[in-house]
Amino acid sequence: MFKTFAALLIFAIAKPGYRFEFPRDHFSHPDFRTEWWYWTGNLQDQTGRRFGFELTFFRQAVSEQDRQPRHPWDATDLYIAHLALSDISTGRFHHSERVNRAGPGLAGVDAARGVIWNGNWRAGLTQLEAVNEDFHLRLDLSTTKPPVIHGVNGVSPKAAGEGHASHYISFSRLESKGALTLGGRTFELTGTAWMDHEFFTHQLGPGQAGWDWMSIQLEDRTELMLFRLRRKDGSLDPFSAGTYIDSAGRPRHLNAGDFSMTPTGERWNNYPISWRVEVPSLGLRLDATTPMHNQELGGDSPFTPKYWEGAMDFKGTKRGVGYLEMTGYAGPPPKL
Amino acid sequence: MTALFLRLILRPLAGEKLRTALMVLAVTLGVAVVVAIDLAAEAATSSFRASMESLTGESELEIAATGGVDENLFARLATTPMPVRLTPRLEGFAEVAATRAVVPLLGLDLAQPGPTTAAGQSGGDGNLEHLRDPRSIWVSRSLGLDVNRETRLTVNDRTETYIVRGVFDARDQAIVMDIGAAQQALGRVGRIDRIEVSLPKGSDTVAWTQRLQAAVPTGVEVRPRGLAQDQNRKMLTGFRWNLMALSYISLIVGAFLIYNAIAVSVVRRRAEIGIVRALGLTRGQVMGLFLAESAAFGLAGGALGLILGRVMAEGAVKLLGATVEQLYVSSRPGDIVLTAGIVAKALFIGLAASLIAALAPAREAALVAPVEAMARGRRQHQARLHLGRRGLFGFAAAALAAIAYRQDAIDGRPLFGYVAVFLIIAAAAWFMPAIVTVVARVLGSIAFRTLGVEGLLAARSLWASVDRASVLASALTISIAMLVAVGIMVGSFRETVSIWMEGQLQADLYIRPATGGGANRYPTMSAEVAETVRATEGVQAVDRFRVYEIDFRGKPALLGGGDSSVVRISRRTSFMPGQDRDAILAKMSQGGDYAIVSEPFANKHKVRAGDRITVPLGAANPTFEILGVYFDYSNERGWIVVDRTTLLRYLPDPAPSSLAVYVRPGAEPDEVRRRIEKATAGRSLATFSNRSLRVEALRIFDRTFAIAWALEAVAILVAVLGVAGALIALVIDRRREVGLLRFLGASAGQVKRMVLCEAGLLGLVSNGAGLLLGYILSFVLIYVINVQSFGWTMRFHWPVTLLIAALSIVYLATLAAALYPARLAASLNPIEVIHEE
Repeated sequence: MFKTFAALLIFAIAKPGYRFEFPRDHFSHPDFRTEWWYWTGNLQDQTGRRFGFELTFFRQAVSEQDRQPRHPWDATDLYIAHLALSDISTGRFHHSERVNRAGPGLAGVDAARGVIWNGNWRAGLTQLEAVNEDFHLRLDLSTTKPPVIHGVNGVSPKAAGEGHASHYISFSRLESKGALTLGGRTFELTGTAWMDHEFFTHQLGPGQAGWDWMSIQLEDRTELMLFRLRRKDGSLDPFSAGTYIDSAGRPRHLNAGDFSMTPTGERWNNYPISWRVEVPSLGLRLDATTPMHNQELGGDSPFTPKYWEGAMDFKGTKRGVGYLEMTGYAGPPPKL
Repeated sequence: MTALFLRLILRPLAGEKLRTALMVLAVTLGVAVVVAIDLAAEAATSSFRASMESLTGESELEIAATGGVDENLFARLATTPMPVRLTPRLEGFAEVAATRAVVPLLGLDLAQPGPTTAAGQSGGDGNLEHLRDPRSIWVSRSLGLDVNRETRLTVNDRTETYIVRGVFDARDQAIVMDIGAAQQALGRVGRIDRIEVSLPKGSDTVAWTQRLQAAVPTGVEVRPRGLAQDQNRKMLTGFRWNLMALSYISLIVGAFLIYNAIAVSVVRRRAEIGIVRALGLTRGQVMGLFLAESAAFGLAGGALGLILGRVMAEGAVKLLGATVEQLYVSSRPGDIVLTAGIVAKALFIGLAASLIAALAPAREAALVAPVEAMARGRRQHQARLHLGRRGLFGFAAAALAAIAYRQDAIDGRPLFGYVAVFLIIAAAAWFMPAIVTVVARVLGSIAFRTLGVEGLLAARSLWASVDRASVLASALTISIAMLVAVGIMVGSFRETVSIWMEGQLQADLYIRPATGGGANRYPTMSAEVAETVRATEGVQAVDRFRVYEIDFRGKPALLGGGDSSVVRISRRTSFMPGQDRDAILAKMSQGGDYAIVSEPFANKHKVRAGDRITVPLGAANPTFEILGVYFDYSNERGWIVVDRTTLLRYLPDPAPSSLAVYVRPGAEPDEVRRRIEKATAGRSLATFSNRSLRVEALRIFDRTFAIAWALEAVAILVAVLGVAGALIALVIDRRREVGLLRFLGASAGQVKRMVLCEAGLLGLVSNGAGLLLGYILSFVLIYVINVQSFGWTMRFHWPVTLLIAALSIVYLATLAAALYPARLAASLNPIEVIHEE
């Protein structure tokens, strides 16, 4: 309780009325305890060989107080990053983790250069590059729609009580083009990516067990973002919400009652990997399936528990691709 | 055959329990020394092998630079898109205040996932905020410190309280700090000692080395991981090599005694051999029987030697551990492990030494013709006939030794030096019958005049059994020679070091961080300390000396930076003949790219004054002109010394490793010392007066050679035991003569005196020959083995008192060893003995 109180004194909290300003708000908000930048996307080469990717940068404040670094290695914040590649035609899932502090330039966010990086993984609004033992991915990204601010009045609530919310921005359609080197071969890839950027100090409430999140990019150039918060008692949290983005880039907020996300039975290690998505007001009914079962990552270090994050296919009233994230199935939810 | 072995070999052995026991003991001691040194050297040097390498996981390459790598370079490499994992690492030492144990201190990036990450895998609460606390430490379980325990540690010149945040399992003791905290504690802000590089599986290490080398500034080296460790390991191997060579001396002495013992039993059982030969036993079978006897000695001695060696290793490891720590690397001796390999080795060398020693006498036995069963004395005659041939062998061995003496080292090891030692010993053994013959003849008459008839008889007896006596004399001579040779070598070394210190240590006070004092520990003190000391009343000048361990042409070396102008005024560093000290130091102090190098460095890297050497320094590769080569005995790795201003140009870290303080004329050094200690209170420094530093240096010196003395002592003990055993055999063998003498009117006392005289003569011959041989061997030790192993020359010096004392003790021991056989001879019943005939 005291910790929460102290944190409230030190960290800012996500409150309604926040005035966004871009490009400033694409970069770091050290006043908030946690911040993340998520890139996910579905890509394919000329022959139709398909890949999914995830490149995620987290910033997590280490201390509640004394946020001024005393020397370059002073770990006021830890930067954690995840990189994953779903090689859908072979079913291989490659993933790795980086943990760094800012140090003498090991990780961080540089608004002037427009880059967020962790070790030799970096991403900006127009390109990203990451390398690990298995592969090397370089993508040029072009924004086709303005950034979307989710929620109402600049805040995306996650639980009851002031501050249990985040500021949440997305680029819902990033046209992507680039190259992937994997196993000695280089693939020229094109596709669409999605970028999420969220910062907050508190998010989940005490009764919440985890969430299921989806990004859906439909053929008619509309997109959906939906998340479902699960309570520990098995029920769904009324703070579940979503956003519909029309082809012109105009967002519409969806309340918990405006949509449903329902597992349809197929499971992989406890994760429900097939879903029915319905948004009655839009006349949308979609069946979500994954082209690859094992897309679980995390758990390599104590910093992040395991979660499932993978490429998805949507069929139904419309067709599309997207990504699904499921947390809280293989242990406690991330502290982040 | 088994029955025959029992009857012909074992029964006599059982009958002469004492003599048998002495022979087995000789082999036992010989094997024990080898085993003890083997075990102790392994334990003393092995722990350093695995060291702390495992803590940061697997990696193939490392990136390092003299004075450390700039942390910005690390960041640049870490953000370059390459599929490698880079781990930064700082290395130093911390002294645990409570136990005074010096433990490796590692600075690691504890935020990165790894075996010791701070994140609570290591027993602590995993609170990430500990990363920000400069007092946080993580310790290996073996240190016995609990989580949350407050611990005082001295790092460099500061003692602070740290808090144990976690405990991890590691083979060796270690203290881990987060990298930023370690930089602060070790005074290396902004620098990283090594970047460890782990490559993708199955990738080409050479290609990666080139690729990374191209990505770093000159002066920064990309090399296989643990290269420095490998180099230290190589040096340690050299050290172990010399020690091992020394440890085999006892075994060689033991082998001579086995030879003697078997030869005695062949002679004594001539009649029996003749009989069994007449009964149809083949030559091969006779030879086999005697080899079996020797094998029995060897196996029994090997087994007992193994046990004794294990016990002796406990003591040896203490001596060796201290030496390794002082001279080579900081490493705590590990456990003594008796491996199957060592067991096999002990039995093998016991057996091999015995069989080789028994080969000649066993062949002799095989040659006994059935008819000569009853004949006596022919063998001795034969021995004399062979004198000429043996002399020839002796000359050949001596000539070969002279050739070996002139050969260069192979891979830094004085192999030919050892060959020369072996050949000289062999030559001496071959010359020995001639020497004994001559001495016995010459001394015979002298002995008659001085010691009476007993003396004459003793000399004659030696002459009569010259073959056996010369083997005995050889064994004793070799042990004495080694004692003398090592004595002269150590004595010369000690004298040289003393004289060198006289010139080199001219300052009144020496100050270094309290955690120093080990071979590869060069902690630094804050630059302010030097200023404080200089400003202290009564201080005239301060020479700030900084040390870096560097990698020069693939070998470890030391780089030092000092205040040449201070040195020029005060220190009497002595240079190679023909080099002008003052001119050299004056040029040095101008701060140009000049260096002087120590003699071991010059020898090791084959450089001379006037040569240019390129030294990796920080982010540059400067080339220095060598102005001179100076004598140094402080480190066999060798020194490159530059002026402080030169060093600071390349490595701008002003923190000195040590200070030499010169007191103003008229000021009282003790008083100045007190003032300095008061002014630097709060710093953990060790201050030595000139005298105490010299005493300390000699103490370390003596401790280093303690093991050599211990080995010599055992060799002498083996030889003296041999003398006792051989004299017993001699007495038993000549019962008839003794009986006859008694019958002819000799008193028991006279018989006793005769045996003692014989031992005395033997001792005299051996001492004389040993002294001469030792003198010759000492040349090999000083001018070949020593120069090739360590690269330093020393002036020859007779440690007269030491030698006189040692030789007197050996002589008295020889006489003491003869007491029992003498009493045995005197107690023979003449009537009984004559009746045997």
